[in-house]
Amino acid sequence: MSQTYHYLVRRLHSFAGIFPVGIFLLMHLFINSFALRGEAAYNRAVGFVNNIPGLVYLEILLIGVPIAFHALYGLWVTYVTKTSIFQYYYFRNWMFYLQRLTAVITLIFVVWHVWVLRIVRVFTGTEMTFLTVQAWLANPLYLTFYIIGLLAAVYHFSNGLWSFLVTWGITIGPESQRLTLYVCTVIFILLGIAGINSVYAFIR
Amino acid sequence: MSEILVKIKRQDGPKSKSYWEEFKVPLKTNMNVISILMEIQKNPVNAKGQQTVPVVWDCNCLEEVCGACTMVINGVPRQACAALVKDLKQPIVLRPLTKFPVVRDLMVDRNVMFENLKKIQGWIPIDGTYDLGPGPRIAPARRDEAYPIATCMTCGCCMEACPNVNSRTTYIGPAAIAQAKLFNTHPTGAMNKEERLDAVAGDGGIVDCGNAQNCERVCPKLIPLVSIIAEMNRETVFRGFTRWLKGKPQKAAFDEPIG
Amino acid sequence: MKIVIVGGGLAGLLATIRACEKGADVDLISFVPVKRSHSVCAQGGINGAVNTKGEGDSPWNHFDDTLLGGDYLANQPPVLGMCEAAPKIIYLMDRMGVMFTRTGEGLLDFRRFGGTLVHRTAFSGSTTGQQLLYGLDEQVRRWEVEGKVKKYEEWDFLSAVVDEDGTCRGCVAQDMKTMEIRAFPSDAVIMCTGGIGAIFGRTTNSVINTGSPLSSLYQQGVYYANPEMIQVHPTSIPGDDKCRLISEGVRGDGGRLWVPKDGKPWYFMEEWYPAYGNLVSRDVASRGIYKVCRELKMGLDGKDMVYLDVTHLDPEWIEKRQHGVLEIYRKFAGEEPTKVPMKVFPAMHYTMGGMWVDYDQMTNIPGLFAAGECEYQYHGANRLGANSLISCLYGGMVAGDKVLEYGKKLKKNTADVSGKIFEAEVARQKEKADKIYQLNGTENPYKLKDILNEYMTNNVTVIRYEKTMKETDEKIQELMARYKNIGVCDTGGWSNRTAVFIRHLWNMFELSRAITGGALLRKESRGAHYMPEYPDRDDENWLKTIKAKWTPDGPEFSLEDIDLSLIKPRVRRYDVRKDEVMKEEEKEEKKEAAATAEEK
Repeated sequence: MSQTYHYLVRRLHSFAGIFPVGIFLLMHLFINSFALRGEAAYNRAVGFVNNIPGLVYLEILLIGVPIAFHALYGLWVTYVTKTSIFQYYYFRNWMFYLQRLTAVITLIFVVWHVWVLRIVRVFTGTEMTFLTVQAWLANPLYLTFYIIGLLAAVYHFSNGLWSFLVTWGITIGPESQRLTLYVCTVIFILLGIAGINSVYAFIR
Repeated sequence: MSEILVKIKRQDGPKSKSYWEEFKVPLKTNMNVISILMEIQKNPVNAKGQQTVPVVWDCNCLEEVCGACTMVINGVPRQACAALVKDLKQPIVLRPLTKFPVVRDLMVDRNVMFENLKKIQGWIPIDGTYDLGPGPRIAPARRDEAYPIATCMTCGCCMEACPNVNSRTTYIGPAAIAQAKLFNTHPTGAMNKEERLDAVAGDGGIVDCGNAQNCERVCPKLIPLVSIIAEMNRETVFRGFTRWLKGKPQKAAFDEPIG
Repeated sequence: MKIVIVGGGLAGLLATIRACEKGADVDLISFVPVKRSHSVCAQGGINGAVNTKGEGDSPWNHFDDTLLGGDYLANQPPVLGMCEAAPKIIYLMDRMGVMFTRTGEGLLDFRRFGGTLVHRTAFSGSTTGQQLLYGLDEQVRRWEVEGKVKKYEEWDFLSAVVDEDGTCRGCVAQDMKTMEIRAFPSDAVIMCTGGIGAIFGRTTNSVINTGSPLSSLYQQGVYYANPEMIQVHPTSIPGDDKCRLISEGVRGDGGRLWVPKDGKPWYFMEEWYPAYGNLVSRDVASRGIYKVCRELKMGLDGKDMVYLDVTHLDPEWIEKRQHGVLEIYRKFAGEEPTKVPMKVFPAMHYTMGGMWVDYDQMTNIPGLFAAGECEYQYHGANRLGANSLISCLYGGMVAGDKVLEYGKKLKKNTADVSGKIFEAEVARQKEKADKIYQLNGTENPYKLKDILNEYMTNNVTVIRYEKTMKETDEKIQELMARYKNIGVCDTGGWSNRTAVFIRHLWNMFELSRAITGGALLRKESRGAHYMPEYPDRDDENWLKTIKAKWTPDGPEFSLEDIDLSLIKPRVRRYDVRKDEVMKEEEKEEKKEAAATAEEK
């Protein structure tokens, strides 16, 4: 029975990376981008999210648990890999390596990010507003780490999406895999630009 | 350029410590790595001029069809017979495969690969070798799809280059997964398709693939391992769903012997 | 019943499967993991008169071609048996999942091969041997899972265990990792240990083909039949470590041999043999190329090479049919064969001779069987292309069946035989192995082999002069003396390949003497054996099997008549079609009959 279990868990891990974790990332970046429209727009968007009924439960069930599962099992997946990027200078091998590297970066970033911007807020009772974020990003160290973490997450999502399509046997041949590579590259660039733009809105 | 410098990673036995030894071998035309090692046999003296023991390595056909002489040559796993000296950067660095236990020097024990073929039931379950007429017809296109997989010589390059084949996993590697697909392609072999898919989805099976795709890059037989694994991904997913949705097949009442 | 099978090539694996199927337990001993056996090197195909091309081919026709190709030096009934079984064996391999090349209708495709006028050769790209071997390897793995087969891979066969009645009761072998020497008691032993190419050095054979088991048994009293019959393949890529085969199938698919003459290609084979052209039998083709290079001095750039040209063929079509071969050429010669003609030269390829066996594949030691290239039965003086795979499979099949019949008739089972004979043989082999470790002279064993190779290749292959062969025999004896002055250079007790090699080296010397001696004895030219001093076939005196018997002072030869019960020998001609030769002969016979009638 351990056999099916291994297969199922690993497939769920792949699945969870897109649904809901990837979707959540997209929504999150979308909401962040309201900052481009100014302080009021951003606060309205955040306020809307904060007023969703049963938010805490949704956050735990739809976001917290899947991310925790994806991250913890992903750590195991990363652990059982022995990469050798300087021995095999192949494009896909580098992508594979970066996927694991960004996994670790993203995990550290997310833990820190959730801690300072979500959990600490619960204890201190501060409201989440444009100004809080702005104050926070004013620290150049935080800002640098934020950008690195953002790009890592976006890479991990885009390359993960490509990988997801192979893992589930959707893109099989070299042509389809090449096409999705282009598509995922575009997604990476667009999301990266969108994310950094939102950050820029806080510090301009 | 009249001499070739070769660095060889040596090990006297499975539990011994490894060490490096350098050799200088006179250059001849049309040399490959095998002929370097043969020269060392004829003159077992290392670069320092010390008498040493001939290097032990595995080789057989020297035509890249038996798979025996696989080793890591300048960082890449490949067959020593097909590694021509004129194409190699010097010093030429020879190491045994790292994903298999070393027997001695460049010789490793790849028995695990044959064991993996047992796991995936890598055979056509024929009734017997007595005369039963011709086999099933196979469309040329289908045959052409299967043939490259059938040329897999179990050399271990794919496993060597795969980051997910290592001492921390039980991953059976690309070769065995491709073989499962080979037998599933054959009309008779397809009769046990489900069992093979279950094996491929089993412990150390296809889910351990991480899409690094090094396997296809190093495969000396140019087997499209990436597409094969992707297709087996799809097949195992479908198999997983149908097995769960349909449940186990019920034994029909009329299958019972009467009386 | 317990059987030991030595060798995991086509013959050994099919024998294993047959024996298992009939209930035997098999210990399968192999020098290499069975999947890496030399059978993988066969490229072109496997013969069987399936007659799917509307050419009216038949097993009898196949039989006729085989005998003619082998210059009638084979006992006829077993050859007929092989040709009749061939279509069924091809179908069997097809059922095992061998990915043969197919026709548009999904049937097996067949190609033409040397020494024949019809499409009789089933093939799987140009890796037929590999594909067939893998098919059998898979079935044996299945039996392994069932627990009927136990594999001992990377073990070296040392000797047979023979009891006081002269019956074989098993064998002794050495684990090449631990260097342990132990006995394998069994009711019968089947030897499927392949050829002896290493004696000739740069051959198309694998490096493991030293013929050591054949030699050990020859030294234990098994007859070595027709040792002088060594096939040289006309087309190979000369290499520093070995010569790589370019399959006859390339010529079967339209490849042409030529050298430049007056600035134009001269298709010498097509000129000399208009009926068969580039597809004459192998000995004839090899001599043709030798003639061009050595006698006419027209080799490319004055060297020992001629062109094998496929550039006039559709690149895509030939690639599909000969991908494996063309890849080998690209890899090892570094040129594009569909654009530049390939450069080739003959190389030693196959041993028609081998252990003498009866029609049940049993040697003169009861209980010791042999099948495949290591026995002599199916090819006479020259083997037709694509007949090796079928002879290995058929031989293995017969041996696998007959060994059980033998076991049933056995009065005393090996289980009831005293263990002493095994202990004694193990002790004898251990002593021999220890002697190798004690060699501390100055000769390098690998260099001695180089000298042997040079002499054997130069003097005992395509053209054989009495004088140089005598020199060769003397040289071998000199090398045997120098052997005692070898320095072992590796005295390790773990995975010591040098010690194994030194044992094989001595065994190669013993075989070489039999080969050279047999060649000197046969004072005629027949099949692969060509002596310029005796250029003609001499059926009256030499239509006989030469049997070599080992003695400490060198081989002792005797002659044995050949079973000609089915076909009367004809002259071998490849300039005229076979059917036309037969018509002519028929006419002459009628004339003769009429003449004798008139006389009366």
